[in-house]
Amino acid sequence: MTDTEESGDRTAHPWPPVERTPRVGAREKVTGAARYGADHAPPGLAYAIPVVATAGKGRITGLDTAEAAAVPGVLLILSHLDDLGIAPAGYVMADGYAFQSLQPLLDDRIAYRGQPIALVVADTLVAAVHAAGLVRAAYDEEPFAVELDAAGTETVLQEEALPLPFLADVVVGDADGAYERSPLRVDAVYETGPQHQVPMELIGGVAEWHGDTLVVHEGTQSAGALRGGLARQLGIDPDRVQVITPYVGGGFGQKNSLQPHLAPLAVAARRLGRPVKLVLPRAHTFHAASFRPVSRHRVRLGADRSGRLLAAIHEVDQQASRRDLLPATYTEITSRLYGISSFRGRQRHVRTDVQTPGYMRAPFEHPAAFALESALDELACAAGRDPVELRLSNDAGADPVTGKPFSSRHLAACLRRGAELFGWAERPPDPGSMRETDGTLVGWGVAAGAYPVMTVPVLARLRARADGRVLAEVGGHEMGQGITTALARAVAGDLGIGVDRVDVVVGDTRVVPHHLTAGAWGTNSTLLAVHAALLELRARLGVPREGPVDVAAAVAAAGRSAPEQDGAEVVAEALTKGPGQPPEAVDRMRAGLVAPAGPEYPGHVAFSFIAHFAEVRVAPAAPRVRVSRVVSVADCGRVASPVTAEAQVRGAVVWGIGAALSEHSEVDPRFGGFVNADLADYVIPVNADVGRIEVAFVGEPDFTLNPTGVKTLGEVALVGVAPAIANAVFHATGRRPRSLPIRVEDLL
Amino acid sequence: MTSEVVTEFTVNGQAVRLDLDPRESLLDVLRERLGLTGSKKGCDHGQCGACTVHVDGRRVVSCLLPAVQVNGRSVRTIEGVAGPDGALHPLQQAFVDHDALQCGYCTPGQVMSGLACIAEGNAGADDDIREHMSGNLCRCGAYPGILAAVRAAAGRREG
Ligand code: FES
Ligand code: FES
Repeated sequence: MTDTEESGDRTAHPWPPVERTPRVGAREKVTGAARYGADHAPPGLAYAIPVVATAGKGRITGLDTAEAAAVPGVLLILSHLDDLGIAPAGYVMADGYAFQSLQPLLDDRIAYRGQPIALVVADTLVAAVHAAGLVRAAYDEEPFAVELDAAGTETVLQEEALPLPFLADVVVGDADGAYERSPLRVDAVYETGPQHQVPMELIGGVAEWHGDTLVVHEGTQSAGALRGGLARQLGIDPDRVQVITPYVGGGFGQKNSLQPHLAPLAVAARRLGRPVKLVLPRAHTFHAASFRPVSRHRVRLGADRSGRLLAAIHEVDQQASRRDLLPATYTEITSRLYGISSFRGRQRHVRTDVQTPGYMRAPFEHPAAFALESALDELACAAGRDPVELRLSNDAGADPVTGKPFSSRHLAACLRRGAELFGWAERPPDPGSMRETDGTLVGWGVAAGAYPVMTVPVLARLRARADGRVLAEVGGHEMGQGITTALARAVAGDLGIGVDRVDVVVGDTRVVPHHLTAGAWGTNSTLLAVHAALLELRARLGVPREGPVDVAAAVAAAGRSAPEQDGAEVVAEALTKGPGQPPEAVDRMRAGLVAPAGPEYPGHVAFSFIAHFAEVRVAPAAPRVRVSRVVSVADCGRVASPVTAEAQVRGAVVWGIGAALSEHSEVDPRFGGFVNADLADYVIPVNADVGRIEVAFVGEPDFTLNPTGVKTLGEVALVGVAPAIANAVFHATGRRPRSLPIRVEDLL
Repeated sequence: MTSEVVTEFTVNGQAVRLDLDPRESLLDVLRERLGLTGSKKGCDHGQCGACTVHVDGRRVVSCLLPAVQVNGRSVRTIEGVAGPDGALHPLQQAFVDHDALQCGYCTPGQVMSGLACIAEGNAGADDDIREHMSGNLCRCGAYPGILAAVRAAAGRREG
């Protein structure tokens, strides 16, 4: 096994040219054969349904389960009245495993509306649902706050509450002084959220005991966290927990850690001696896992008369729960998107009575870009400059924060290529100047985005088989982003064999340890490990370091020369981590804890970049905004898999349309919780909402970053979509949206 | 206690006879009793389309349909779309060719709706497809690929 540190040899192993390999697993998905967590149905299966709190905060003073227990088929009702023998799993961002530090069902405290208070298990799903509706709770209610400005919230400064170097306020130069001296100034407040991830696959799965081993089938982005977290909660050895999650029906951050339903489910399965399935009702998913918190941004930009930026001040308040603080990194990109010599950031947390908010695709970068890129559009207007020109003239050379070089930075190329594909040169500068004969207003907007390139520890094992096939066992998760396609392509391309000769196993703790797949680091990190494993495999097969390999012949030859092997397969492993990462990062990965490196690496900083161009049409009578056309050009390094990469960007544009125009989780200060907790009222885009989307890539490999040249894509793809749409709305109407989603009232 | 109802129907051409609780949805019966897990649950409220199947040739959201109501009728699910030899239906192939999916969770429902969209004569123009495919949510945002796949299977070019 090789333990490859950092970027290693970057010339000896050129990657083959990019081919348009179809998505791996597509056949299984179009035939219904792909097996997701809740598709598992072992014999003797029982069904669980939670009961949730209907108080906004307080204490349970009575829980009446008698009527529910009398329903024929009901097997078990778990609640705080019982001793479940469950320890807390700990908060994922504080050396734990769970999306929040609170584990429900352990005491009588209610921290937020929607918190589970009981779990009903029955022979059939109808019995469980019926009985759950009969559980009665009485509460001693307390006042609660669910909005940023409500009485009873508490505001804390991040750098004091979370004293970690990477969470300190970013301060470069004297931004306040430079701002005061600037001849052109923008000072505005922008707000987004709350929003929910709503992957189509509901949260849930099956827990079953095989002897004293717990087997969990559940869609997750972090099989390792489920393994480590359940072991901690149940007091068992992590080797006694197996998590199997070959397909995840979308995650988007919602499934990035252990959810609190699983430990009680495992307890129920153990008590009953039966497998138990729990699929959370859609309404429960709005409180049972994390969400994108409200964030409010005050942005001040100072510039000279030409629009050259002299200062930026970015102050953010982010919603928190009472218990946990989600480390905020909004200013990580706003301090770096442009060459601003004076920058000051400040990030605060506002504690409210909700479940702990968390990661939703581009968790900080999407809101941050909405704020900064809207402000920049306001500055372009003030300076009388074209918004693309303004951005190009403010491009950064080295990283303004650390002074280190970027590993690669092609934002200008994204802007230029996007402008060309979009036909930006035809844009009249004045708002309201493009109008169709029926009175429809047309607007064009642009915005840029960036996202940190992080790298995590990965173990990859390759098995070259006597039949010429290669099996790749990799610590990663397939949530639809295309990681299996990228990995299969990498192995097939390297060895010169067909992609159909490669099998990829991800999402299975029985074969390799798994780090969380999020932050877009899945593909670059797993490719790095596979790259190293391929070199090791070639060495073990006794074939040259590059060029096509007759796998069957090489395996047979290796078997003859090493008779202690059975001749059936040759196995190679590699364990990689990010440049400069300490060895403890690998231990953390093996334990199911998070351990990302970057975006600051020893010799450089690494970010992906993107530019989005949007066209909107605003109907005259009732202003309804339609996004008719988007062009997106990304700098993600080498494109690891063109087909799935394009899909990632198109999907992110659809996300941006939802974020800009419809998605908002409504809160009612009288009740707490989120009130529009279903798919009819939490409005995500449908097919009819989506116009033409054109995607292109700069395609420059980043060999400074790693030997595969691959940066990251899944998150940066969303960053900047919403402000491009908002800026287009301003161009169409002359009205400046400063909060998302943009509402009709904002345009009247 | 609700008494069970004997229900007979066909699924993908196979005769089925079950004693059913009248509250059981067709979706839960397909998934939990018949092992046909291709149809997915995304909401259980008729709001997402992930559970779309055909009953007597028409698309329905199976989460809203009590299974007892398909007594005497014929049900087709995603598992019954490919040929008996495993050959993909042209619409399934078009989904693969146009990469009309990412996580794949909505895909069975999209395919069943796409088949219906074409059969209903609603695939004549792109805007018709967009409209008639809008009962099927895709959080991955594979809509442009879905549009292209339905259009291609309907034998049209872009426009
Ligand atoms: S599960 Fe039936 S429409 Fe959503
Ligand atoms: S492919 Fe993931 S929801 Fe449609």
